Amino acid sequence: MQLNDASMAIRPRTAWEALDLGVLLARRHAALLMLSWALVTLPIFTLFSLLFWQYPTLALLLFWWLKPLYERLPLFILSKALFGDTPTLRQSIRALPQLLRSQWLASVTWRRFSVTRSFDLPVLQLEQLSGSARQQRLAVLGQRDSRAASWLTLVGMHLEMGLWLGALALMYMLIPQQMLADWNWQDLLGMSGDWLWFEHLSNLMYALVLAVWEPIYVASGFSLYLNRRTTLEAWDVELTFRRLQARVKTVLSVLLVGMGLWLLPVPNAALAAPDADETVQTKEASGPQSDRLLKQPLTSREASERISELLDQPPFRNRETVTRWRFTEEADGEPGWFARLLERLLRSELVAQRPDRLASVIEVFLWAALFGLTGWLLWRYRDWIKLYVNPRQTLRFRQRQPAPSALFGLDVQPESLPPDVIAEVQRLWHDHPREALGLLYRAFLSRLLHERQLPLKSSHTEGEILELLRHEAQPQLLDYAEALTRHWLGLAYGNQLPPDATRDELCQRWLTVFGSEASHD
Amino acid sequence: MSDTTPEPNDVAPHTSPNTQRQRASQLAQALRQELHKAVIGQQDVVDGVLTALIAGGHVLVEGVPGLGKTLLVRALARCFGGDFARIQFTPDLMPSDITGHAVYDMASEQFKLRKGPVFTNLLLADEINRAPAKTQAALLEVMQERQVTLEGRALAAPQPFLVMATQNPIEQEGTYPLPEAELDRFMLMLRMDYPQADEELALVRQVTRSVRTDILDVSGLRVLLQAKDVQALQKIASDLPLDDQVLDYAVRLARATRNWPGLTLGAGPRASIALVRCARARALLRGGDFVVPNDVKGCALAVLRHRVRLSPELDIEGTSVDQLLQQLLEQIAAPRL
Repeated sequence: MQLNDASMAIRPRTAWEALDLGVLLARRHAALLMLSWALVTLPIFTLFSLLFWQYPTLALLLFWWLKPLYERLPLFILSKALFGDTPTLRQSIRALPQLLRSQWLASVTWRRFSVTRSFDLPVLQLEQLSGSARQQRLAVLGQRDSRAASWLTLVGMHLEMGLWLGALALMYMLIPQQMLADWNWQDLLGMSGDWLWFEHLSNLMYALVLAVWEPIYVASGFSLYLNRRTTLEAWDVELTFRRLQARVKTVLSVLLVGMGLWLLPVPNAALAAPDADETVQTKEASGPQSDRLLKQPLTSREASERISELLDQPPFRNRETVTRWRFTEEADGEPGWFARLLERLLRSELVAQRPDRLASVIEVFLWAALFGLTGWLLWRYRDWIKLYVNPRQTLRFRQRQPAPSALFGLDVQPESLPPDVIAEVQRLWHDHPREALGLLYRAFLSRLLHERQLPLKSSHTEGEILELLRHEAQPQLLDYAEALTRHWLGLAYGNQLPPDATRDELCQRWLTVFGSEASHD
Repeated sequence: MSDTTPEPNDVAPHTSPNTQRQRASQLAQALRQELHKAVIGQQDVVDGVLTALIAGGHVLVEGVPGLGKTLLVRALARCFGGDFARIQFTPDLMPSDITGHAVYDMASEQFKLRKGPVFTNLLLADEINRAPAKTQAALLEVMQERQVTLEGRALAAPQPFLVMATQNPIEQEGTYPLPEAELDRFMLMLRMDYPQADEELALVRQVTRSVRTDILDVSGLRVLLQAKDVQALQKIASDLPLDDQVLDYAVRLARATRNWPGLTLGAGPRASIALVRCARARALLRGGDFVVPNDVKGCALAVLRHRVRLSPELDIEGTSVDQLLQQLLEQIAAPRL
């Protein structure tokens, strides 16, 4: 293969540009390609049609099925024509048996439906590769442009159909009007025996369509293949070098003569030449590795050392030491302690004799790990759980919770209260009014909590308790609560001592609201 | 107007403390009634603004446009006899547009200070988050120190001084979030929500009756307060008795936000201070003689919500700051005696 002789400009192209080039190639050799195609395929078509006259569809199917074998001839012609050696029609037909010999069975069986058929064909036919070598080659070539080859096949199928239908339409238009008057579509669809010739005629149309399209299809696949090889093997670069070589070849002889003359020893110069030792030293000194700039503050050796030193540091080189556990073997080939332990464990008698016991141990270990992890998660997120689990409990669940024993620092358990609260309040009022009112308010909260089942919390303020009571719809209780809370707040936060009359009023109203102490206790 | 409504300038300094307190409380309540004439519904927001006014703080009101944020301030300004200024924050607003700047006077051939709109008693910073942080920060000094430094000279802002800023929710296009340092300067952050059905009905009825077709008319409101009245109110509120247990409760609430699960940023000491001052103001507003825990708890949400930051997990989950703070308030025990 002489790239210099190629009839096309060899350079890397995009896949679509390569396809365009394929169409151009097919057009340039259109006559030869179509004629040769027709000469090969039409006899076969005729043979099939005659053999299966009663079964025109089968005839067409067989003809269509052998398409990959027909495509070898156009590729042969194109590959020769590319390098200026266009074969004649006779040469092409003669070469056909040889072309069909290799891998014909594979082409019409398991590779029949390959969508990259035209792209793969040159590998089979021109490179004569088969088996794994062919696979590897196709894998390399198919890294690019195989998509375009697939699209070429797909579009080709539609184009064939389109051209075929067009040809049929043309044929229909050529039928005289008088004949058409007698036709009816049921006859056409019924495909009775009288219409076999029509079917064979339409098959022939398809064969003719193939004669037009198939050379283009093969040429496009071939140009895709060439483009891929141009990219892979840098044909364009090679061509450039070859051209350069051809140009320089003429100048080279002159250049060599000139160099020879310049290097010839001059007699006078020989006299002044230094002795052999000095020559050797000079040669050595002029070597790239030798020391230079010896009379400078910075010699070439020092400079070289400094450069090496700098290059050995960041950012040119970043050394990193990573130390971690690994299960692989040590550098000296010895297995690590963990690997040794595992090996010993697996080879131990326990495993060999009682594998179920080992399984139990592992199971226990896994369960322990699960419980441990769950416990750790609960502990780790205890704050979140405390925050989000409790407040989202339902009201019913809240009510089932034990009532708080203390509110606002006051013990509100019924047991902590004196048997007769009112008597105790009246006794304490004079000397310890704060304790007396505190006791009354405490008893009040206790009653709300345990008798009225009011959902009180330690975060509730006195005002919020009143708000809760407002929803209870008990005016008498609410009035009493407002009065008691007002006096309690005044004493607790405002240091305002209630008058003695308040005592009698609160105690009296207490009995009205909650009944006598005896009934409570 | 009820018979109990005091006339302006009624908070005289020479009467007894109890009488003063009662009159101050009546004045505050009268102001509330007057504001409610213009602002239909929105009880909490109106109370919040009055609380901030009495507590001597600044207030940030947030809500989608068209809920009456600006109307509320306009109404307050109407009832307020002092100076009033309004700044519409825009992306191209410069700090000097707020604080003022020096201009060259051709006649005297000297630089003269031109004071910005910030030198007023009541400043409405409308849509504050439409301006970039640089411009927002121009308010920092005056909000905290009540002074503005211009050309090296510290100029005091008039007293009382209240900044009422409105902001649209951050998700809206073309808004800049307020820096935390500035958020902390606001005593309260109030959320204005859509009105209830009956409130909206009354609002629509009232607006469509007014001369201007699209907004409520505030020209009918009475001037109830002068600058010195507000100062007197603030003085009276700050003198209200506060039990140590209530103080402790306020501090405990603020401190609880600092290590509360779900909050990545807790409230600082300014929050504790604001809680106590707001509690005093609320006590005065409700006519109380002393502060009770309910006063603290009532304003805790507005004081804390803009000073804390939700953790990303909860933010993604859709939990709001208010929900989390509500849980906090439900779990912190009320004062113990």
